[in-house]
Amino acid sequence: MGLSNASEDLSSEMEVDAFRRLFPLRYFERHLAESIRPDGRPLGKARETSIFLGAVASANGSALVKIGSTTMLTAIKMEVMTPSLESPDEGCLAIDFHMPPICSPIVRPGRPAEASPVVSKQLSDTISSSRMIDLKELSLVGGKAAWMAYLNAAFSIMQDIYCLDADGALFDAALISAVAALSHLQIPAVAMNDDGKIVLVSGEDGQKPVNKEKRKLTLRSIPFSLTCILHKNYILADPTAEEESIMETHVTIVLDTSGQLISLYKPGGPALAYTSAIQDCVGLTGQRVKELKSYLDKENSAMEVVV
Amino acid sequence: MEYVSPEGLRLDGRRPMEMRQIRAEIGAVSKADGSAIFEMGNTKVIAAVYGPREVQNRNQQISSHALVRCEYSMANFSTGDRMRKPKGDRRSTEISLVIRQTMEACILTHLLPRSQIDIYVQVLQADGGTRSACINAATLALADAGIPMRDLVTSCSAGYLNSTPLLDLNYVEDSAGGPDVTLGILPKLDKVTLLQMDSKLPIDILENVMQLAIEGCKAIANYIREVLLENTKQLEYRRGV
Repeated sequence: MGLSNASEDLSSEMEVDAFRRLFPLRYFERHLAESIRPDGRPLGKARETSIFLGAVASANGSALVKIGSTTMLTAIKMEVMTPSLESPDEGCLAIDFHMPPICSPIVRPGRPAEASPVVSKQLSDTISSSRMIDLKELSLVGGKAAWMAYLNAAFSIMQDIYCLDADGALFDAALISAVAALSHLQIPAVAMNDDGKIVLVSGEDGQKPVNKEKRKLTLRSIPFSLTCILHKNYILADPTAEEESIMETHVTIVLDTSGQLISLYKPGGPALAYTSAIQDCVGLTGQRVKELKSYLDKENSAMEVVV
Repeated sequence: MEYVSPEGLRLDGRRPMEMRQIRAEIGAVSKADGSAIFEMGNTKVIAAVYGPREVQNRNQQISSHALVRCEYSMANFSTGDRMRKPKGDRRSTEISLVIRQTMEACILTHLLPRSQIDIYVQVLQADGGTRSACINAATLALADAGIPMRDLVTSCSAGYLNSTPLLDLNYVEDSAGGPDVTLGILPKLDKVTLLQMDSKLPIDILENVMQLAIEGCKAIANYIREVLLENTKQLEYRRGV
């Protein structure tokens, strides 16, 4: 008797799975009618999020972020550069977003994934327009005349973001990991050697550092984002890859921790967004920003305890 | 430079025949058919397997067996200095080929005709022995994907510095310019699938170094079996078997 029940369960399970594959939109809409999603989340709820700082030992700053299954690993390497003539007292921030073929069955070797340059550009624009980092902080200036030759030198922050698992909301996860890595970043102390080259100062050297001792960047109002899907009258926060592929209208909103709107991105899609829907998305983003800020603060304070 | 102290300790405090700490985790990439993270000391790699699936380029389809493809790449931040060109350089191409040929030797490709198996390996942190770590990660990922194999493939390196055979070289030891033997074996069948050596080495010493590498491979094989067994138990528990 128990055996027949088990086989019945299996057949119904198979039917559900087949229905999901054959009619994905109808499958999702049946759930949406009950104000729930197939993974059990309410419509406005984001997936479980975790932040781990210092994931890469060989980097100056790093963070591993998971939103559900979406996984991003960001690492920062500091390099010394000659600043541009327009801003001689500023460093620079370069962001590269990578989608290696391990992250998704859609990404194949050879040609880079379509999303890579788009997300890279969005991240650069978001971080620069949020004015989270004062680039003057990256300038290297010696107080003595002996350092004059090196007055026009600064750090450049080379930030590489690797998507290890692409399961939706890539920009959100990439932005959190970029911000988390910047919060973990320690600017190394450097000095000029006899050849006039800049070298990292190790504890034993008698060299006098050009900049202050190892220090952290001062981060002002930090930007966080939330991607929502608009489908009929429903707003789904933090979509999975499956949801993104079925319901094509996305809205990504970036707010900073002071509540200012940094950017709003709605790349087309069949659903036309009403002002009220956009405002609802902004409201959801506001809640999400508070949540993410608390996660990051908690992780940073835990790191300080470890140090 | 002295790589082995008079007390018989290496630069990182290990004994000559001691391996670095290894750690493995299965199922790191949700979208992949099989995936694994493998760590050997400070070397960390992640492998993902997609397949068997339809052959992307029909011209490459083989009617008698599966097509195995492999891509090895290093993250820009994986080494001391940031890498400018982490993919497509000659070293990456060579390691991709080595991994592919090593894995092809153990996959029962004849059971999967007209299909394609993609193995992607990404180095997140490099501290010597990346190709060994990649082969071990790929083995775990293939097992996780349920790809039929003759046996597990495990790999380990060994070298010869300061007249001492050393097991599982780190980056500093690897860069010393001494002989470096990378070995891949099928532990149950007791067969060698990969053997690479750089620099000159007398034949009598090669036997000792190779034997040391075999011991390392067998130790890794035991650990990998434990990890797979634990993973299977967890799957059984989740499915209520």
